[in-house]
Amino acid sequence: MKRTIIPFGPQHPVLPEPLVLDLILEDERVVDAVPTIGYIHRGLEMMVERVEYTEMGFVAERICGICSFMHGMGYCVSLEAIMNVEVPERARWLRIIWAEISRVQSHLLWLGLGADAFGFENLFMHCWRMREEILDIFEKTTGGRIIHSVNRIGGVKRDVSDAELAAIVVKLEELGKAFEKTANVFGKDPSIRHRLSGVGVLSADDARAVDAVGPMARASGVVMDTRLSGTYGYDQVDFEPVTETAGDCLARVVVRMREVQQSIGLVRQAVEKMPKGEGMPLENKPRGNPVGETYTRLEQPRGEVLYYVKANGTKNLERFRARTPTFANIPAMIKLVRGCDLADVPNIILTIDPCISCTER
Amino acid sequence: MDREAFLARVGEYHKEGRRLALINVTTLVPAAAPAHGAKPEAAATEASVGETAAPDQFEITWVFENDKDATLEKIREQVGPADIIPSISEFFGAAFLYENEIHELFGLNVEGINLDLQGQLYKTATKVPFSHAAVKARLEALAAKTAAAAEAKATTEAKA
Amino acid sequence: MANPLRLPMVPRALRNLVSRPATRRYPYEIRPRFEGARGTIEFDVETCNYCMLCMRRCPAAAITVVREDRIWSIEHLTCIGCNVCVEVCNKNSLSMAKESKPVHTHAEVGPQGQRPGHEEWHGPDPAIAAAAKAAAAAT
Ligand code: SF4
Ligand code: SF4
Repeated sequence: MKRTIIPFGPQHPVLPEPLVLDLILEDERVVDAVPTIGYIHRGLEMMVERVEYTEMGFVAERICGICSFMHGMGYCVSLEAIMNVEVPERARWLRIIWAEISRVQSHLLWLGLGADAFGFENLFMHCWRMREEILDIFEKTTGGRIIHSVNRIGGVKRDVSDAELAAIVVKLEELGKAFEKTANVFGKDPSIRHRLSGVGVLSADDARAVDAVGPMARASGVVMDTRLSGTYGYDQVDFEPVTETAGDCLARVVVRMREVQQSIGLVRQAVEKMPKGEGMPLENKPRGNPVGETYTRLEQPRGEVLYYVKANGTKNLERFRARTPTFANIPAMIKLVRGCDLADVPNIILTIDPCISCTER
Repeated sequence: MDREAFLARVGEYHKEGRRLALINVTTLVPAAAPAHGAKPEAAATEASVGETAAPDQFEITWVFENDKDATLEKIREQVGPADIIPSISEFFGAAFLYENEIHELFGLNVEGINLDLQGQLYKTATKVPFSHAAVKARLEALAAKTAAAAEAKATTEAKA
Repeated sequence: MANPLRLPMVPRALRNLVSRPATRRYPYEIRPRFEGARGTIEFDVETCNYCMLCMRRCPAAAITVVREDRIWSIEHLTCIGCNVCVEVCNKNSLSMAKESKPVHTHAEVGPQGQRPGHEEWHGPDPAIAAAAKAAAAAT
């Protein structure tokens, strides 16, 4: 049969992300997809040649606007491991709290975009209205809505008072209740079910074979969550990774909806367990230049991110590599797109929650 | 590198159910390069990083991860620009992306990728931006710029 | 065809018809920024001793300090609002205002060819300042 090649992206009406794919079609069926990276490539890895290690954290934070907190945290954690800096306890808890709030923010953003992609504008607006309240929390506590700039090597720069933390928990729990109603729509609306269930099924074996990470793998029943390894203080909170077994687009939506509630619970636990009081130490300043290398893993909203940092004792790092969750999920996406209908491609691509800025660094 | 032993080891990791977490390449530029901001005392600690940078070598690390106990296993090799690297994409479905990437950004040749994108993955202005020549050229340009700025400052100070 | 009354979004949509909008009428109604939000860098020319620390530590190279001429200048459009300069200044000359400067709508260029967002302070001449200090010490 004659083959048609359709360039999918970088500008596409459904996708907010400049993903570039060449879809090879036979009739209406996709037989292959070829990804291209580099449309918004910014060369952040090259920047370490010029930018000093103390300043690189702010660059790392700008890898992505949605997980900016976690990127900044990942960079700082890596450098702390190299330079043997102990982070004060309250700072560690604050990092967990901010990280979990940003997970809620990211999932709400994605659920809205997903709703928009399958044509449910009303739902999109409601998800984003809730997200706005979370951005307000960020602005109050960190000083920025998107780029928080509170992480420094050795700790965090701002404290949040205990009263304010309690207020945040109350606010988040209210939000969680309101979100349940919205979540109902995702789970029960027949048009959404019709559009998503059974589409783009990734079995658990396939998810392992293509090394999928994050909600993508968990929706297929693979239990993997970097937080389980208990690093950075996650060993002191109780949680079960959210998994679904269906592996289709709907399961990926449901996993993210349940993770919103889970993260709200984690924030509450963290606020209960953290040491209380005013004026506790928040930062241990590192000394000298870093020497050594480290691998750091964090669970971002989109999945596991891995930073490789190698320092050679000068002011500039020798290598900084961020393997972001979307990069790891691209093989899974290509696997799903092969053999599906052209009309399902946008939905499948969106349910992996692609973040092209992360991927292209 | 020992091709057979390497592939056997990767196969073993695959059987253990590990996941490919990262294939990373570092361009090893001698640390004496002035623009890296190397202070004299930094050179002494260099050996503690684990290797002494031979000229024009790349360091490749394959990182495999176990989801159950969250451990990382690494295979590390030093290769020259002309060496051929065996592909592990027959074991790990995600390897093709990393392998295409190291071919395009570092100019290394990977043999037997199951989805060879023929240099179409990255669209960068500089072809092979992390080859030794490109990295050195950038570092030298930077050093020249810093030196020029310092000189300009010295002359203004001398005038004043 | 599903019964529209059984669709879970319908009650919410009906409520939306009569409820107030969740958004503000932006240009007429502006939400004040929260305390501690990071907006614009403000500089106090009286206390600065031109130590150049802020210039060296600024990740965006937005600050230029010329010690000899007592000039402190900032490119507001280059500043990424990271707060580092405020943290490092020993003299507390810098502070972060919570409001941002309005966006520039066109690229106006100042009389000395400055870019938009460029702001510059000239401290007192060092010789005069030293003389004043000596005079103050003498009295
Ligand atoms: S503002 Fe502060 S840090 Fe900057 S030159 Fe003046 S005294 Fe130094
Ligand atoms: S806030 Fe940050 S970017 Fe802006 S002038 Fe200060 S140090 Fe530079």
